[in-house]
Order: sequence, then structure tokens, then C-alpha cells
Amino acid sequence: MEVFSGLLQGFQVALTASNLTLCVVGVVLGTVIGVMPGLGPSATIAMLLPLTFKLEPTGAMIMLAGIYYGAKYGGSTTSILLNVPGESSSVVTCIDGYQMARKGRAGAALGMAAIASFIAGTFGVVALMLVAPPLAQMSLAFSAPEYFALMVLGLTMVVLLAGESLTKAVLAMLVGLWIAGMGTDLFTATSRFTFGRLELLGGIDFIIVAIGVFAIGEVIGNMELEKPAQMIPVPKGLRNLLPTWDDMKRCRFAFLNGSVVGFLIGVLPGAGATIASFLSYGIEKGVSRHPEEFGHGAIEGVAAPEGANNAETGGALVPLLTLGIPGSGTTAILLAALVLWGFKPGPLFIQDSPQLFWGLVASMYIGNVLLLVLNLPLVAVFAQLLKVPSYAMYPLILGISIVGVYSVSSSMFHLGLLAGFGLLGYAMRKLDYPTAPLVLGLVLGDPMEKALRQSLMMSQGDLSILLRPIPSVLLGIAALLLVVPIFKKFNAVRVQVIDREA
Amino acid sequence: MQRARNIVAATLAAIAVATALPALAQWTPTKPVEVIVHTGPGGGSDVLARAIVTMMEKEKLVPVRMQVINKPGGNGAVAAAALSEKGNDSHTLGLVTSVWIANALTTAEAKVTVHDLKPIAQLMLEPAVFAVKADSPYKTLKEFVDAAKAKPGALKQSGGSVTSRDNIVRQQLQHATGAKWAYVSFPGGGERLAALLGGHVDIMVIEPQEAGEQVRAGKLRVLAQLSEKRLPGYPDAPTLKEAGFDIQPTPQVRGVVAPPAMPADAAAYWEGRFARLRETPSWKKYVADNQLEEHFLPGEQFRASIQEISKQLREQFVLAGIKVVR
Amino acid sequence: MPPFARSGDFWSGLVLAALGTYIVVSARGWEYMGEDGPGPGFFPLWYGGAMIVLSLALVAGAVLGRRAAGPPLPMANLGRALLCWAAFVACIALMHLAGFIVAFALLTWFVIAVMARRPQRVALPIAIGAALGFHALFTWALEVSLPRGILF
Repeated sequence: MEVFSGLLQGFQVALTASNLTLCVVGVVLGTVIGVMPGLGPSATIAMLLPLTFKLEPTGAMIMLAGIYYGAKYGGSTTSILLNVPGESSSVVTCIDGYQMARKGRAGAALGMAAIASFIAGTFGVVALMLVAPPLAQMSLAFSAPEYFALMVLGLTMVVLLAGESLTKAVLAMLVGLWIAGMGTDLFTATSRFTFGRLELLGGIDFIIVAIGVFAIGEVIGNMELEKPAQMIPVPKGLRNLLPTWDDMKRCRFAFLNGSVVGFLIGVLPGAGATIASFLSYGIEKGVSRHPEEFGHGAIEGVAAPEGANNAETGGALVPLLTLGIPGSGTTAILLAALVLWGFKPGPLFIQDSPQLFWGLVASMYIGNVLLLVLNLPLVAVFAQLLKVPSYAMYPLILGISIVGVYSVSSSMFHLGLLAGFGLLGYAMRKLDYPTAPLVLGLVLGDPMEKALRQSLMMSQGDLSILLRPIPSVLLGIAALLLVVPIFKKFNAVRVQVIDREA
Repeated sequence: MQRARNIVAATLAAIAVATALPALAQWTPTKPVEVIVHTGPGGGSDVLARAIVTMMEKEKLVPVRMQVINKPGGNGAVAAAALSEKGNDSHTLGLVTSVWIANALTTAEAKVTVHDLKPIAQLMLEPAVFAVKADSPYKTLKEFVDAAKAKPGALKQSGGSVTSRDNIVRQQLQHATGAKWAYVSFPGGGERLAALLGGHVDIMVIEPQEAGEQVRAGKLRVLAQLSEKRLPGYPDAPTLKEAGFDIQPTPQVRGVVAPPAMPADAAAYWEGRFARLRETPSWKKYVADNQLEEHFLPGEQFRASIQEISKQLREQFVLAGIKVVR
Repeated sequence: MPPFARSGDFWSGLVLAALGTYIVVSARGWEYMGEDGPGPGFFPLWYGGAMIVLSLALVAGAVLGRRAAGPPLPMANLGRALLCWAAFVACIALMHLAGFIVAFALLTWFVIAVMARRPQRVALPIAIGAALGFHALFTWALEVSLPRGILF
């Protein structure tokens, strides 16, 4: 079969000494970048571009891709240990990962993140290899109306993330929507909620809000007591250092969920890894037999989103390599790199440059294995980090947060924003407002608004454009998700009434 | 006695000037140079800046390292402010595009605009083409416009923000022909192309280099090109004028600017370097590969070009109903 | 003080209702529905409105004493937390003047010595070591720029 001959050729290319070395360099560098909050693969790849001219293009691409998916492995580390998202897409991992760490299961969380990343990452490469061209064609059917429906579905996840008070969860989401709307309106060039500050013209970067609300808010909250209990217990014994067989069994569906959802969302240009991880988390919680554990340290709550953001890498390469369309910020730079090296990414790319394509695919298999081998022992190393006493840990978190935000924005104004969001995070904690819906609203608000307005521009104001096949299905699911809990409550009241009358 | 003293004074003065003049003419950079761009890594300006830096090093045109600094945000306002803050620094440059000029007109929050900065050189123009899907019923731009006239608002074009060249040329065409078609903004180039390929919109304005591969694969058809002369990559596509539309599309320029108070000798140095760059083989290859339109203008002419573009854009924005604040 | 005035829900509801009102008022200044579709005022009007409705519901719930009026307005230990936050803000402001190393060292020292009341022989070395460590790791090894102050 053509695929196997291609793959064989690819392995021949990928297993040469120089390409293997470049792969190792890429994945290690990527892991380091991923661990550091704020520092992202796109900036690193851009910085390394001049270096790549001295290398052969296939090797260079292998290295850059290694940085790209390697970062997804590292991103979960600080999310779990410090509640600081290392990558935007690791935000969801904070929710359950950090709670697991607080219960002494940091090792299991870190290990599961690596395993889920490996399974989903490999799935992504397999899918890229087998179904890339036809899937890319199908993804073209996805446009604004479909995106809008997808975003609405994502927002109804609020219902699932709600916890006790639905009102407060929705309010948090609305605040997230508001923050998402800050900046220059794309369609009319009007400035909204910029308070006259030019730094706000581009809106507020999501990572600043996430780090502020999650990490800074948590640290300030912990400052209340002079001698807090050892903040994170160091995992003792092998049982807590790595996931158990029980954990692996529980996460069976999460692996599948993360892989498929992540890959499919990755294929869509415009929808990113963060959306993929939220959706995957929501689906996992929705089908779980013990949903009340989510938010308090459910291991599936780590496996699903971590898998999703890794499978997304494979997905994002689909439109890049088969259509020449970049799906996300990082793939845009990879596209620029390919062009700079003299390639012409487009529909004929795989045909014209099979060596690069198959070499890349083969190296991604190798890279994922390398990353698993690299990350699992690192779990023990990182777990030792937890021995640092809390009074030294807190300034460390604050310092990392500052560096992370500054590396993204290079501006004191944004550091001020970080402080503001830290206070907000603390206030939300004290007043019992769930923080996840805020982040959800922030991530989905802008794309959702854009998608709706684009849809109506396409249809000249006709709302029925939203009733095309795909949006109807997605909106239908969203409606069900909203109605079912209300139905359940209604039913519960009804049963109570019947009981009383009996 | 007096005359002798005058002669000595005059000679001394002449010697002083003579020694100072060479110093003025021979400024060279002595520490790493920063090139500020307004996009994040991977954005259009960023890629061009990195390519320029690489070429400068390869052709050994500058004795020091050059580095690209990303200052995204504020639609170019943040980058402009960063450049302005550098005052009289001779080791900072900025890469500007027409986006800076457009945003100067619409962004009230910007305290510094491109007009406050010192123009060094205009490097090139970015041409574009009108493209439709390969199976589209329109074989010429005129057919598209006629169809749009017959059904106002039914046809759709995908493009960038409303202040971008995509929309401006649409406004100009609509104005000149009386046709009307809808415009759908997508923030990313990839999404615009996906919308066209997926059949959700009917036409788009696209950079020739982006379109190249799609045309070669038979997915897109080029109807017309927005440039003065036909580009070598598209010998068969008519220019707007040749297609019968007497429109002067507002040029998309890319050029280099410097902080407002950069000393004259440094500015002259940089202008000279960029003039020299365009003679190098690396540059020529870059322009050819990326299907750009070379159009070099030295500093003062670049300033005039910026002002002319600003004037044109203001007219177009007012016609399109976009709020102009300067 | 009436019981509901001690309730967190009550006050946060009022704040959010005020925010919602601000959003709606701003949205009225923008175009609601343009000729091409919803304008910039469309979405803010709706979510601002929803914010007002829900936050007033929250306030009402607190006033009517339902749901045990949510958590009480937390007075205990608020002072310590806010002090820490103030130190963080001061650190950032100082960073603008004195750069990362100095400001961060001071913040670290503050957290260890003042907030956690550890002795100086623990606080000082950790503070200085951490600040220098960050500098070494980020500025040298990773070439990530740290905030540079006007003075340093």
C-alpha cells in the first residue's frame, strides 16, 4: 500500500544520525519551553529560523515540529504542580491536575499527562498519515456557521462545569465574554472597552488572565494563614508516583476522547488546542459515572485535555501539509519556514516533496516515543520539587508568573493587569465563583461573536444559515445539554411531590 | 597683523571642518541593531524582517548583528510607540506596512503614529490578485461584477478587516461600477482561503504567492491582478486597467522607518544600506520567489508616498462609512 | 447590619450588576445592527443585559435569605492576603524603576520574612539566590528578557 511504502521511506529518512539528533534536540527543547509558562513554541521556532538555514530542510522541519509537539508535553507540568498553565492549552489541566497534586497524587497526574499525551499524539500522527487529504477536503465544509455552533456547544459546557451555583458560573462566563470583547472590532474598526489605552487595542491576552486568576489568586489565597499546611504533599511510594492500573482503566474513554476530539478540532483552521481541551474535558465529565469528582482531582480530567492538546498538533498539520493553509499561530510560522526554505506548501506538497512529508511523519512517531521516555522519569524529578517549603514556593510561583507574562507582552502595563487579575482570582475564590467558566468565556467569546457575525454577513442577515446540517446537529446537542439538567431537576421535584402525596 | 590672524583662523576653521566631515559621512553601527515589527512571530512583517536580517548578514552589509523584536498589539500602535520612545537611537529600525497608515486614521488610542517616525526607505509594493474557485462560473472580473450588479449583496468576498486593502479595492470597484457585493472579514489568511475553497464565499483578494500553489493544483482561478504591470508569475491575468476598470488601487507598501530623532548620518547610512541591499542577488531571488513588486523610494520620497496613501485611504474610509479620527 | 449585608453574594451581585449596566450603556453607544449584520453593540448588549438580570437574581436571593445567603463576607485573614497582594503590586511598580532582580528579591524576602515569619538567615539567602537564579536561567540561558528598570 502506498501509505506503507511512504512510511518506510520516511523511517529511512528519520532514522539517519543527523535527523535523529535534530529530533531529540527538538523534543527536549520543546519540553523545556512547554514547562515555562508564557514562553511558547511559536516564539522559539521564530527565533531559531535563521539557524535552520544552515541545516537541511527535512532535518530542520523535524526539529521545529519536535518543538511544537514537545511543548504540549511540558505544558502540563506547571499546571499540575503550581496551578500555573505552562501553555494556553494546558489551562484545563490545572483544574483537576492541581487538585490531584494537593491530594498527594502529583506524580500520578504528571505521569498520566505524559501517557495520555503519548497515546493521543501517536493517534494524531496515524490519522495524519492515513486520512489527511480527504479529511482536509471535508474540513473545508466547516465555515463560520459551523464554528458558531461549535462555540455555542463549548459554552454550554458551562453547565457541566458549574458546580453548585449555576448562576455564579454563568456570571463568571459572562465576565469572560466581556474581557474577550475588549479591543478593536474586526468588522467595523470600532474600539470596544479599551478605556483609551492603546495596550488594550488588541484585547487582553488569555494567558495573562489565566495565570493571574489561577496562579496569583491561589497564592494570595494561601497567604491568609501564616503557617499553611505543607502546600503540596510530596507523593510517597510508587503508587502515587505513577498512575496505577486502576487509573489507566478509568481513563480508557478519556484516551479515545482526547485523541479524536483533539485531532478533529486541530484540523479546523481557526479552532485551537485550548478549545479542543475544553471540549474534551466537558465530554469526559458529561459521560462520566462520577461527574462530581471533576474539579476535585479526577484523573480523567487530566487525561482527556492533555490528550486533546497533543492530538491537536497532528490535526493542525493536516491543513498545513495538504492545503497549505495554516490552522494556528504555530503552524503559520511553520508555513513561513517552509516558504523560506523554498518549498511551496499547497495541495501538491505531498506529491512534490514526499521525502519531507514522510520523513516528518516518521519522526513524529519517534518523537512521541522519545517524549514518553523522557517525561516519565522526569515525574520523579519534578515530584522532588514539591519538597521546597511553601514559603519559598510562593515567591517562585509569583516570579514565574511575572516572567511568563512579560515574555508574552514585554510590557509593564500587562504586569499590572496580571496583578489585577490576581486580585480577581482571589475574590472569586473567596466568594465561591467558579473560575473555569471565566476562562471558558474568555477563550470562546471572541471566536463565537466573530463566527456569528461572519455567518450573518454570508447569509445577508438570514438566520437560517445556522440550520445547515452540521450546525443544526451541534446546536441540537447544545440544546440537549442545557435541557437535560433542568429536566432532571424538574423530575426530582416531581418525584419529591409524589412521595409527599403518597 | 589682523589679516594674518584672520588667515590663521580661517585655516584652523577649514581644518576643523575637514576633519569633521569624514566623521559625519562614516557613521557605522557599533552595537546590535533591533528591527521592530508589529506582528507576532510568523506574521507577515515578522517573516519579512527575518528574511531581511538574514540577507543583510549573508551579504555582509552590516558589521553588527541584527535582531527582530516583536511588538504586537494595538494594530501597530504599540510598535509605533516603542519606536518613538527610542528617540535618537541610531540602532533601532522599524518595518512598516500600509496597515500602519490605515490604523493611524482609525485608532484614536494611538498617541504615536507612523507620521511621527522618520522614513528611511520604501522597499516594495505587495501586489495581489482577484481569485475565484476553479469551478466558479466567472471567467473574468467583468463577469463577476456584472453578476453582482444583477443581484446586489448576493455575492460575497472574504478578506481581512474593513480597513484592509481587500475591502478598499472592493469599495473602489463598487463605487466605479455601481455593483454591490457583501464582504466577510476573517482575521487569518488561512481562514479566508478556506472560506473560498469551501464555497462559502465567491471571491477573494489574495497575495500572488499564496495563490500560486492553489492555482498550480487547479483549485483557484485568477481573474485579475492589482498591479501596474503584469507580474511574471501571472502572464495571463489582466491588470485592473487592462480588464476595463479604471481604478488605482491604493498600494500596499512595505518600508523601513526609524525613531523620530535619529541623527542624519545614521539615517543616511541606513538608506544607503537598503539601497545596496536591492542590488544583491539574495534580494533579487527573494523578490522573485515571493512575487513581490520592487519599488524602492529613498527617505523623503517615502514620506511623500506615505502622505499620499494616507490621503487616498481617508477618502476611501469616509466613502465606506468607517470612522476616521485624524 | 441586616444579615444579607454580610453576604458575599449580596455585594458581588451588586458589583456585577453595576458592571453589567456599564456594559449595556457602552453598547448603546455603538451600532446594534448594521447593514451587513450585527454591529459591535450587539453582543455586549446581550451579555451585559444577562449579567444585570443574573446578578440582581443573586442579590435578591441573598436578601430573601435563600440558600443560606452564600458565604459570609470574609473578614478573617483578609488583611494578610491583601497585604501580600499589595506587596506584589509594589514589586511590579518597583520593577519599572529598579529592574527585575532587585524587585523580585525584595518580594521574595517580604514573603519569607514578613508573611511567613521565617528568620532572616533563611529569608535573605533565598531571596538573593532566587533573584539571581531567575536572572541566570532566563536572561543568560534562555535569552528571555526580564523587565529592565529605568535605573538598572
